[in-house]
Amino acid sequence: MAEVKLSGISKSYDGGKTWVIKDVNLSINDGEFVAFVGPSGCGKSTLLRMICGLEDITSGELSIKGERVNDLSPHERHVGMVFQSYALYPHMTVEKNMAFGLKLAKADESVIDQRVNDAARMLQLETFLPRKPKALSGGQRQRVAIGRSIVQQPSVFLFDEPLSNLDVSLRVQMRQELAGLHRRLKTTSIYVTHDQVEAMTLADRIVVLSPLGPKDSTNLEQVGPPLELYNRPANMFVAGFIGSPQMNFLDGHLESSGTERAVITLKTGDTVEVNCDAHSAKAGDKVFVGIRPEHISAQFSSMDNNESGKNRILTKIVAEELLGSESFIYCHHEAALGAIIIRVMEITSKPHDQSLSVSLPPKCCHLFNEEGTAFPRAGLPEVF
Amino acid sequence: MAMVQPRNLKYRVWCARVGLWAFLAVTLFPFFMIISISFRAGNFATGSLIPENPSLEHWSLALGIPWVNADGSITEPFFPVLTWLWNSIKVAFFSSALILILSTSSAYAFARLRFRFREHMLTAMMILQMFPAVLALVAIHALFEKIGHYLPWLGLNSLSAVTISYIGGLALHIWLIKGYFETIDNSLEEAAAIDGATPWQAFRLVLLPLSVPILAVVFILAFITAIGEYPVASVLLHSMDKLTLAVGSRQYLNPQNYLWGDFAAAAILSGLPITIIFVLCQRWIVGGLTAGGVKG
Ligand SMILES: Nc1ncnc2c1ncn2[C@@H]1O[C@H](COP(=O)(O)OP(=O)(O)O)[C@@H](O)[C@H]1O
Ligand SMILES: [Mg+2]
Repeated sequence: MAEVKLSGISKSYDGGKTWVIKDVNLSINDGEFVAFVGPSGCGKSTLLRMICGLEDITSGELSIKGERVNDLSPHERHVGMVFQSYALYPHMTVEKNMAFGLKLAKADESVIDQRVNDAARMLQLETFLPRKPKALSGGQRQRVAIGRSIVQQPSVFLFDEPLSNLDVSLRVQMRQELAGLHRRLKTTSIYVTHDQVEAMTLADRIVVLSPLGPKDSTNLEQVGPPLELYNRPANMFVAGFIGSPQMNFLDGHLESSGTERAVITLKTGDTVEVNCDAHSAKAGDKVFVGIRPEHISAQFSSMDNNESGKNRILTKIVAEELLGSESFIYCHHEAALGAIIIRVMEITSKPHDQSLSVSLPPKCCHLFNEEGTAFPRAGLPEVF
Repeated sequence: MAMVQPRNLKYRVWCARVGLWAFLAVTLFPFFMIISISFRAGNFATGSLIPENPSLEHWSLALGIPWVNADGSITEPFFPVLTWLWNSIKVAFFSSALILILSTSSAYAFARLRFRFREHMLTAMMILQMFPAVLALVAIHALFEKIGHYLPWLGLNSLSAVTISYIGGLALHIWLIKGYFETIDNSLEEAAAIDGATPWQAFRLVLLPLSVPILAVVFILAFITAIGEYPVASVLLHSMDKLTLAVGSRQYLNPQNYLWGDFAAAAILSGLPITIIFVLCQRWIVGGLTAGGVKG
């Protein structure tokens, strides 16, 4: 059991000219399950590999169980890693794969047998012990890779997109198994994924990373429990990354603001009222209004009602995705960054190019300043 | 295979067969010719493929057994052919083993480690390898002569000198093994490191077992090259009992007297160790060793 502390962790591959990871500060509690999410190429794997010891840390300090481990080998850090590619030893049986580390450490035969069998039972791999990896399915291979980590009884589990090579139904099943495993073992775990559903369902806390721009001082965007990230994203990057389909943004400027509510005039002249504390900004400042697809309500019944009133904007349908249980409607609006996506429960097809009046409930709106930083939301229950 | 084939396929298959048979005939004819010459009484390079009066004369002499001629006279073996064969095998075996060890370890360095001038060294090795070893004959001779002053067992006219000089042909093998190492996912060795393996253990217990096919290929290639090598050995070796078979068998072909029959028998003998090594190593040359380990 161990806590992991990252202070000022940075990584550069070319001796300081360009940075992949910059100034990441994070403290992971004992037994916690933390997920690193971010778009592909933002440095999640690099950060994980630095924690593992497969990549050296350019600057900053990493400690596990309160001990500085920057200069320790992966084995000395007592970490276990599960690779996206499984990385099983192809010439060894499942049993030998799992026993490899213990054999190297010259553990007793009885200890090795017991730990391997325990892990095999936990992962339902008992019947596959004498097989070579090539005679296993993808899910079984990934379970062997997990088993290989478990038998070492590491103080921290590291997972680098362990499920992304599996098909969808297997991924859902393995996700459940991983959650169950963590409930049982309660080992501190760090899980890298680009799949926010995996992060939302598995993690106690999510760490959102962004690709490092030339001017950015860090690529750590926000750390928090899944629902807090959903309800109180700290900036437009997190707001757009968490939630699917992604949040809609509307371009406008501040008309008036207070601690409870703010009024925004969109580029198109529509006014929108939001329940956000924007008193730190002054009237006339450029802002972005954000609202999630599931929070917009569309008035199909009043489709011929072409009036665009308060918190109600007039859009034009450009495309739709009918998923059976729900539908996503893609609409065009002059002030929107990209298309506005609306989730509706109706499953009937709508004619294209038709105008659609949608309303944006003030309670559900987010507000961001020109740099993309969120204003605090007002009127949200404290539990979030 | 139920793929629909164009109608004139049969005709094309026959064309291919005829072509292949012709090709086989061209490659195999010299081989049968040499076998035929070695069983032919007298020393004639030409004659029918099935010897008219077959004789074991040349084989007997090659194997060091005096031959009783039809008229009762006895022909002693001219040359110690079996000693030459043994010399060849020793040189080929030890040089291939050394080549294998050295090229595997340098290939590991080039494939897995990052160091300065890595790319340059690889290119330089390739370019240097393009000059035929013959160009260095003088240098090799001078070098081993000098060494002989200090270490007589490694001087001129010693098999160890030949063995060492054959190691010079390393670069090609390094490239070959390096290419194979690079197809093996690095994450396997990373997993081993996390499991507590030292780099040496990861190399020996994970990378090497997966590289057996290419190691077998390199060993066979080095062995074949060493058995057949003539220029360097002919310059370094001169006493009768130190020659390799490739150098020694030329003794049969002096301008006054071409002993074709004995030469043929010696030539076939020199193919023997290659065949044995190949048969022994063949079972290591298998595909799919790395299957199932990683999914990319
Ligand atoms: N060995 C390396 N040398 C130089 N750049 C690298 C190296 N490895 C990764 N990078 C760069 O670091 C960035 C982050 O990579 P990675 O951590 O693999 O991203 P992620 O796992 O989030 O998709 C990428 O832009 C990649 O190009
Ligand atoms: Mg990655």
